[in-house]
Amino acid sequence: MNSNLRRGIYGWIAFAAIMVILPHVVGTGVTRSFVFAMYLAIFAVSWDIMSGRTGYISFGHPFLIGIGGYTTALLTYHLHWPLFLSIPTAVVMTMIGGTLFFFPALRIRGTYFALVTLAFMELIYGLVQVIAPKVTGGTRGLSGLETIVTGAIPNYYLALVVLLILGFTMWLVIRTHIGTALSAVGMDEDAVRASGINVTRLKLFAFMLSAFAAGLGGALYVHYLGSIAPRALFDVGFLFQILVACLLGGAGTISGPIAGAFFLTFLLEWLRPYFPGPERFLIYGAVALILYVYQPNGLHELVRNGLKRLNQLKLSRDTS
Amino acid sequence: MLQILIQGLVLSGFYALIAVGFTLIFSVGRVLNLAYGSFLMLGGYIYYQGAQVVGLPKFPSLIIAGIAGAVFGMLVYRILVKRLSGNVVAVEIATLILAVVVQAAVVLVFSPSPKSMWPLVPGVLRIGDASVTYNIFIAAVISWILLGGLFLFTGMTHMGRAIRAVSMDSKGAVISGIDPERVNILTWAISGTFGAIAGVFLATYTQLDPNMWVTPLIIAVAVVIVGGIGSILGSLVAAHIIGMLETITTSLIAAELRGVATMLIIIAVLLVAPRGLFGKSEL
Repeated sequence: MNSNLRRGIYGWIAFAAIMVILPHVVGTGVTRSFVFAMYLAIFAVSWDIMSGRTGYISFGHPFLIGIGGYTTALLTYHLHWPLFLSIPTAVVMTMIGGTLFFFPALRIRGTYFALVTLAFMELIYGLVQVIAPKVTGGTRGLSGLETIVTGAIPNYYLALVVLLILGFTMWLVIRTHIGTALSAVGMDEDAVRASGINVTRLKLFAFMLSAFAAGLGGALYVHYLGSIAPRALFDVGFLFQILVACLLGGAGTISGPIAGAFFLTFLLEWLRPYFPGPERFLIYGAVALILYVYQPNGLHELVRNGLKRLNQLKLSRDTS
Repeated sequence: MLQILIQGLVLSGFYALIAVGFTLIFSVGRVLNLAYGSFLMLGGYIYYQGAQVVGLPKFPSLIIAGIAGAVFGMLVYRILVKRLSGNVVAVEIATLILAVVVQAAVVLVFSPSPKSMWPLVPGVLRIGDASVTYNIFIAAVISWILLGGLFLFTGMTHMGRAIRAVSMDSKGAVISGIDPERVNILTWAISGTFGAIAGVFLATYTQLDPNMWVTPLIIAVAVVIVGGIGSILGSLVAAHIIGMLETITTSLIAAELRGVATMLIIIAVLLVAPRGLFGKSEL
């Protein structure tokens, strides 16, 4: 085990320990903000494994999350399926939806891919409202869905367990050769193919892993909220939060997007008492924009640069 | 039948304006401006402020909206795009974030509730047994005048030829003594003007609200994907395909399916011919 990996695992253990203690220290309101932040982090991790390294930028992640959410919502609401069946079904459906993303990725990349996934999101937004509005609840969506656990603290631990398992697994995955190969795909896909790696299988793996996380996160999130509506899910604003969480945190690092999701959620919460009105969203967006333009590689890069400078300082002091 | 044809032609002219403003930036700077929808939204709101709040005459308000669009376009280029130049993905994401910021600013200044707009020219034009509102007809006429103007400008003037040169080969253009900086800023100004004026038309055709930037962005993206990114001729042809198709779906099948038909066409074109009908480059 090299020292980098060991340091990372210590980081995860510290993160888990803090998160386990946290709800006993802070109030219910803050706990609920953390629940939201953790779901955002799950979606951000899902985005990161598909898009963070490969350069296949997904603008349609709400599409995947929405498939998971709608599948379990419809199954439990209309057919009264139990949750332990409907949630796995939702995950499977999302993975099937993920293959819809995968087919365009065989032919197109970069901006074109981003725009097609955006088109998927807008398409399903239109379809949900037009086709069978009686079943899907149309524009207003469905409410009064079954919840898994009730209360802020049980929901907090549920989200925490899912986030830790998904986040840590993916963090380990990108530390293997698969992660290196995914980065290589982002740099020069043809070169990766030329060096004998099956790029199609590699991309399919990343997409399925991403869809799995998006479906699971989406299904649990819908049962946490107890309601679902097309404009809350298939929305540029929601996409914006996922994207910005990943990019501010540092795309391609898994731990960065989780940090980014917490940062974004608490930035918005922190601004609330000072700016109760709509100006909060303006400041929130502007902060995101300035941070992004200042460091497109995100907080992860800022922290790493800071640590490097600290080490250099230490070195120069030792030598002098 | 005649009704669909005329309605489709008029709508397509207007879509062509939206799309050309969008693709111009790609063909010169090789970046996608996802804040393009904000140009339309700002144009619409500035026109609204001028013509319906302050009470200026309509055509001066339209011109003011156009100038404001040009200024905004140049500012976006100078402040944002230039700083990230070379990083295509960063430009796309930064402009997408900017669009959300502009939306928040519009909510703050003009309130989130939608506003209805008076038509540019009231009344209905009748051709045979078909009819179109003067408003959308005038929008199509002005769109074609602007597009024709752009065609003449890029073909006849020195500066216009410089724009074409940079879009073909920016290194070669620099070697021949063209300042790419000036070309870029001019392109962003033209794109801003086209966007803002198209925004006035879109607002009078539908309504003014802080979410209105998404639809024209999707229209522009659709037209550009079908026509081929960076090709102006392709955009013109694709605008007519999409405009006609939308009119046919809206009037013969269901009005709600308008966007769905467009999305299906985008997906089909991308799968069959990823470069679009006239595309010169793949991203």
